Amino acid sequence: MKMKFTADIIIGTEVHVQLNTNTKLFCSCATKKNEKEEDIPNSRTCPTCLGMPGSKPLVNQKAIEYGIKLALALHCTINPEIRFSRKVYFYPDLAKNYQITQFEVPLGENGCIILDSGKKVKIERIHLEEDPASLIHPAGIDKSQYTLIDYNRSGIPLCEIVTAPEMHSPEEAREFMNKLKIILQYLKIFDENICVIKADANISIKESGYIRSEIKNITGFKEIEDALTYEIQRQKQAIKNNEKLILDTRAWNAQTKITTRLRTKETEADYGYIIDPDLVKINVEEKFIKEIKETMPELPEQKIQKFIHTHKIAETDAKVLAAEYILAELFEQIAVEVSPQIAAKWLRRELTRVVNYNKMNFSQLKIDVKHLIELFSMIEKKEITETVGQDIMNQLILKPFSPKEYVEKNNLKTVQDTTELKTICREVMQKHPTVVQEFKNGKSESLNFLVGQIMRAMKGKADAKLLKEMFEKMIK
Amino acid sequence: MTLHHHIKNTQNQSIDILEYTHKALEETKAINKEYNYFTTISEELAIQQAKNLKANPKGKLAGVLLSVKDAICIQKVETTAGSKILKGYKPLFNATVIQRCIDEGAIILGKTTQDEFGFGGFSVNTENIPKNPFNKDRVTGGSSGGSTGITQKANFAHLTLGESTGGSIVDPAFFCGVYGLCPTYGRVSRYGLLDYGNSLDKIGPMAKTIEDTALLLNIIAGHDEKESTSSTQKTEDYTKYLNKPVKGIKIGIIKDLFGEGVNPIITKSIYKQIEQLKSQGIECEEITMPITNKYSIPTYYIIATAEASTNLAKYCGLRYGATENLQGNYNEFFTKVRETNFSKEAKRRILLGTFTRMAGYRDAYYLKAMKIRTKIIEEYQHLFKKYDALLSPTMPMLAPKFSELEKLTPLQHYMADIMTAPPNLAGMPHLNVPIGMHNDQALGLMLTANHFEEGKLIQIANNIQ
Repeated sequence: MKMKFTADIIIGTEVHVQLNTNTKLFCSCATKKNEKEEDIPNSRTCPTCLGMPGSKPLVNQKAIEYGIKLALALHCTINPEIRFSRKVYFYPDLAKNYQITQFEVPLGENGCIILDSGKKVKIERIHLEEDPASLIHPAGIDKSQYTLIDYNRSGIPLCEIVTAPEMHSPEEAREFMNKLKIILQYLKIFDENICVIKADANISIKESGYIRSEIKNITGFKEIEDALTYEIQRQKQAIKNNEKLILDTRAWNAQTKITTRLRTKETEADYGYIIDPDLVKINVEEKFIKEIKETMPELPEQKIQKFIHTHKIAETDAKVLAAEYILAELFEQIAVEVSPQIAAKWLRRELTRVVNYNKMNFSQLKIDVKHLIELFSMIEKKEITETVGQDIMNQLILKPFSPKEYVEKNNLKTVQDTTELKTICREVMQKHPTVVQEFKNGKSESLNFLVGQIMRAMKGKADAKLLKEMFEKMIK
Repeated sequence: MTLHHHIKNTQNQSIDILEYTHKALEETKAINKEYNYFTTISEELAIQQAKNLKANPKGKLAGVLLSVKDAICIQKVETTAGSKILKGYKPLFNATVIQRCIDEGAIILGKTTQDEFGFGGFSVNTENIPKNPFNKDRVTGGSSGGSTGITQKANFAHLTLGESTGGSIVDPAFFCGVYGLCPTYGRVSRYGLLDYGNSLDKIGPMAKTIEDTALLLNIIAGHDEKESTSSTQKTEDYTKYLNKPVKGIKIGIIKDLFGEGVNPIITKSIYKQIEQLKSQGIECEEITMPITNKYSIPTYYIIATAEASTNLAKYCGLRYGATENLQGNYNEFFTKVRETNFSKEAKRRILLGTFTRMAGYRDAYYLKAMKIRTKIIEEYQHLFKKYDALLSPTMPMLAPKFSELEKLTPLQHYMADIMTAPPNLAGMPHLNVPIGMHNDQALGLMLTANHFEEGKLIQIANNIQ
């Protein structure tokens, strides 16, 4: 059982991703509520996802397709046969007291995700399974006198991705999760506003002889890093205190930022898997895989190369843009109309700044690419200053409008007329003779004050660099 | 009057089907009082359906009273598969077979008694034990015992739907002296059937005559998009086989199943029939099935109980059926429900099935059994290259008395499936053909054909008197 580890820290994860199909994995119930409707518990259910006697499962082809897409994107070998198994355990969130999952033969095997360092994290297997119902403890899990069950989640397709225990720091685990999320976004098989991504992480340290703990149900990428960091400290402290570590399963509390023991694992759980005899074997034809391959979008790695070589932008910019599906998409559309360097810089810095400032994520962004092209092309042609551009960006994220019309209407074009600017500079110098004197004495920051005065007066319409040059000449 | 005439009379309204239904219900209630063939008589539903039929007398089963094994879901009619744990459970939907029969004008008479979840060959593993129509001290066989009992007893136009996992159609058909046809696995949709062993379960028709059996098969056979294991193979008009000549047909007599442990009266009665068949130009040769007959019982019980133990996990008192006071934690709660409401046999099969699929044992039992199953299918298919059908006894014994049955150990009970387990494991269609009586005990023989060759069974059976 024990592998030969040498690293200080050993981390492996099992990630569960809810796939963004319209219907559930084994019945035709909707996976999400209708936009206009109220979310009523147990409203999206049928005899199959409720596990009623006599009901039978039917496989959702779309989920298979999504699973294969992901397996291909993660460089997995696709197995030629799909079989489902029953994993039997009694738990109130399981409608049948068994979960339909894949055991003997997973959908895909032996893939990897490549981290920025170039390190390959091996993916042992990826398989499909059904999500259980959700349990609601009205007064909290410890205090509630009763538990409610909502079967709306029961049967939503999950894709489980299991890594080899090959990560050696919480940061690597976080990066792995991030990379996985980006691939899911590119494949459009995951909706980050609705679908949930959860991880179980196994972690052990050298000092204990690699006695591992499994931390269950971590949501969020920062959380996985925090949970693992905490757990390493806890294990190290335990060894220092001469405590003996044992195999256990732990819960991560995102509020208190600690892990607590759920149960010990003296023996491995025995789920008594059998092939699910209600579901026939599905042959994965070469033709089917080929069709999926043909519809596969470009993935982040390919995008980065394209951005560097075709659009000639810097590698760092390319990586940042490719790491966010929406940004990459916007960039590609804009880069054919505007200088790719300007597009890259403005998307990467300014759009990202505004999105973060408004506490949004990119998938919530509703911005018309036409408007961005207008904006960037005015910047490229120096028709407006960067200050004006930033201000337009601030507003554009909140409501759509044409930046071009806005600039014209508000008379925001950069003042190019040097005689006009000279007159203004002279006025400012006359108003602030002491500052001018300070500059003459060698205090170079004084110049910024003078430029700032003009920028304020002109609502940012002047080119600050040009103004500086003018001041320098005029004062000397 | 034949069933065929009754259907015609219903369609052309020369009988009052509502009045007829009332009478049939009265007769059923009287029989049930004495013989325990029903868990539920669906009187209200039957009368409503008869009223509808009177207004619109249509369908290939117009006016036929249909009794249904309790394990098959009927919307709003209590469906328990003979188990206490499902007391009060009324399904929200009709099984596909039920919907098809209703659409053809059948009138639902009720749910018939059976061994709990199909666990047994004598219909004694339930609270409501049916009695043999020829002698109330004897068993009906099982697990579809109520179905065959009422089929033998009913004097009105009647058909029944049974279900077989390891022999539960032909076994009670034999003991009650009726026809029982277990179709090819996948031929008839399992949608709406309460599962015993999903890779083995088959719903099939049972009737007093082979014509009626073929008629009901015509209605229920065929692909169902609601069920993954349902076959897309085209169906046939099975009644066409009734008049097909049999000359030149080749039958293999499974010699291994006529030896030790088989009542000689059965052997003698069947060999008499074989002579009859030969005289009609059917070629009969003795064959052996060494792998099948050596391994089928353990293979069957490993696969069936492994699957059953997972199917029965869902019965935990949480959302339907029997329940207990909500006390303690979830484990304590469902344990109490299952402890109180499963019978001894159900518990035995859950334990057996769970054992065979546990880590450390699955390789030796469950996975090995799956491999042997393939070997058994191969042995059958090899024989079907040469023979149109195989012939054997249906059961090794004549209908025993309840008192005799009590002396048997669970293993002896399981061994009684020696003839029926093989075709069930291999998914081959098989049929019990009644061939008369020995005093108060029915006689019969079993025919088995290759996958999707139900027609051949009907063709041959029609020539057996």
